[in-house]
Amino acid sequence: MGVLEIRDLHKSFGGTKVINGFSLEVTELTLCCLVGPNGAGKTTTMDLITGRQKPTSGTITLRGDNITALSEHEIAQRGIGRKFQVPAVFRELSVRQNFEVAYSREVNPFRNMLRRRPPGFSAKLDEVVSLTGLKDRLDVEAGFLSHGETQWLEIGMVLMQNPAILLLDEPVAGMTEAEIEKTIVFLNRLKRTNTLIVVEHDMGFVRQIADVVTVMHMGAFLAHGKLSEIEADPRVREVYLGEPEV
Amino acid sequence: MTTKQNLYHSKPAQWAVYGLFFAAIALIPVFVTDGFLLNQFAVYGIYGMLALSISLCWGFGGILNLGQGIAFGLAAYGMAMTMQMQSQDPDSNPIPPFMLNNSLEHLPWFWQPFWSTGGGILLALVVPTLFYVVFGTLMFRARVSGPFFAIMSLAMLSAFATLILDMQPYTNGANGISPPAPLSLFGTDLDPYGTTAYWIVCGGLVAVTVGAKLLTQSKFGLVVQALRGDPERVRFLGYNVALYETCIYAISGFIAALAGCLWVMLIQYVSPAQLDTTFSIGMVIWAGIGGRLSLLGAILGAFLIQGGQSYLGDQFLATWLLMLGAFFIVVVRFLPKGLAGLLEMILGSIARQPAKHARPEPAGLPAAGE
Repeated sequence: MGVLEIRDLHKSFGGTKVINGFSLEVTELTLCCLVGPNGAGKTTTMDLITGRQKPTSGTITLRGDNITALSEHEIAQRGIGRKFQVPAVFRELSVRQNFEVAYSREVNPFRNMLRRRPPGFSAKLDEVVSLTGLKDRLDVEAGFLSHGETQWLEIGMVLMQNPAILLLDEPVAGMTEAEIEKTIVFLNRLKRTNTLIVVEHDMGFVRQIADVVTVMHMGAFLAHGKLSEIEADPRVREVYLGEPEV
Repeated sequence: MTTKQNLYHSKPAQWAVYGLFFAAIALIPVFVTDGFLLNQFAVYGIYGMLALSISLCWGFGGILNLGQGIAFGLAAYGMAMTMQMQSQDPDSNPIPPFMLNNSLEHLPWFWQPFWSTGGGILLALVVPTLFYVVFGTLMFRARVSGPFFAIMSLAMLSAFATLILDMQPYTNGANGISPPAPLSLFGTDLDPYGTTAYWIVCGGLVAVTVGAKLLTQSKFGLVVQALRGDPERVRFLGYNVALYETCIYAISGFIAALAGCLWVMLIQYVSPAQLDTTFSIGMVIWAGIGGRLSLLGAILGAFLIQGGQSYLGDQFLATWLLMLGAFFIVVVRFLPKGLAGLLEMILGSIARQPAKHARPEPAGLPAAGE
């Protein structure tokens, strides 16, 4: 059974149908890449899953619970972590403080007033810091990080949340070749312990990380399967790959 | 590039400066024996509390609140009503004179609870705080923020001022309420020009400052500072942003309400002028000049501006406002973190200098305690 199930999702903005009957089932401990040409509705789908937008119709269930009508913070608490396309970190806070905020096991404001650092934080911080390699940067203000480091920080923050599912929106955008290589190793390690959905344009990158690929076109489901199957699919070639890949 | 830690960010150093500040304000009654002067210093303490409350919600929470006079004014009215009823007698003289002048024959229902001193003071603190909870919930749930919230708070402030002005028979309109006797607590009159009144204000200022400092250092405080920069990110980490914003806004309102109560205790008077927009905007200017990201900076900003107003204002009259305006522009343009930010910059450049001195340089520290 899928950990996350999307059923017949529709979303229109003022008459324009952006998502048109999209369905998806994500299996536990796989990395699913969501691909499609510009305007296919990938980011809108992310927005709908995380509650930033509400669907016109359709349901989204997480481990059998309907989360469609919940607000962003409730969905996040239930274990969906999201990394934004444009890195969103707290630039005025230090890297360590960014991780502290992200460690959101306790979200009650009144209990957090009486507490400086929640239990279990240090162990989790060590784990995430060793994964993301920001050990020497913990006391630096996040605004001073390089673009690549900022991407890593945000991925680390999502991990601090301990999410059941990670949604990564173009995680390697703006990264250097070396950083992309590092991300590939990192994601392949991460998918052993986490379920991931990655929105990506770069097919070369998708090839190196994806267990399964879902192709979207015009807001609807087009194809789903292993990358080799997808690439062989004539409909996909037509709308997305444009020309046969060598 | 490795840097030594900026002394400005060292928690022990911060607490040491706070300690110095508390010691300084506690020592004032030893040197100042003139009652009027002591009363004036106590009033500065009230302004300090107001600036601190602005620093909490604007500086830390990013909520620009131009209507802090709502909590201050409502609480001041509550306290004035309490003190007024202390001078009335339930049997022989139950109705305050101004109501008789407005031909009221019964004490209005909402004045009844103020027969009790404890109940009255409690209401003076609880009603404004509850209003902040309700207003904050409405605004922040609808994700009203930034300049839009500032305008809403300002409009709400004007609405309250107009309401109080219009309800002449119940509030004495523009004349305000001037209780004939000082506050009587536990059977003794509290002389507003005496040291006890000063100590109460001083104790209140120390308590709210320590409380606010601890709050900003808690996990709650960290989340609030994070949502100042990027509320969306905080939301996607699982925090109910509107609830956090309402909390910090209501806490800041409670501090302003406490300030309102103490102010009437010192001045024995309240009028719609306490809900004047210029007064509330003034609080934001104190915090802005002193440093909205520094609680102590905001307090000292209030002392500086109000002190300047008292002494230079008399000398320069209207020119003082121009000087204040020019000063504010200079601070906003060159020191977005206020005078406290200037200190942070100076200490930061000391920390970056190659370690010529073996011992840490304490030169900048006493400057902050002044």
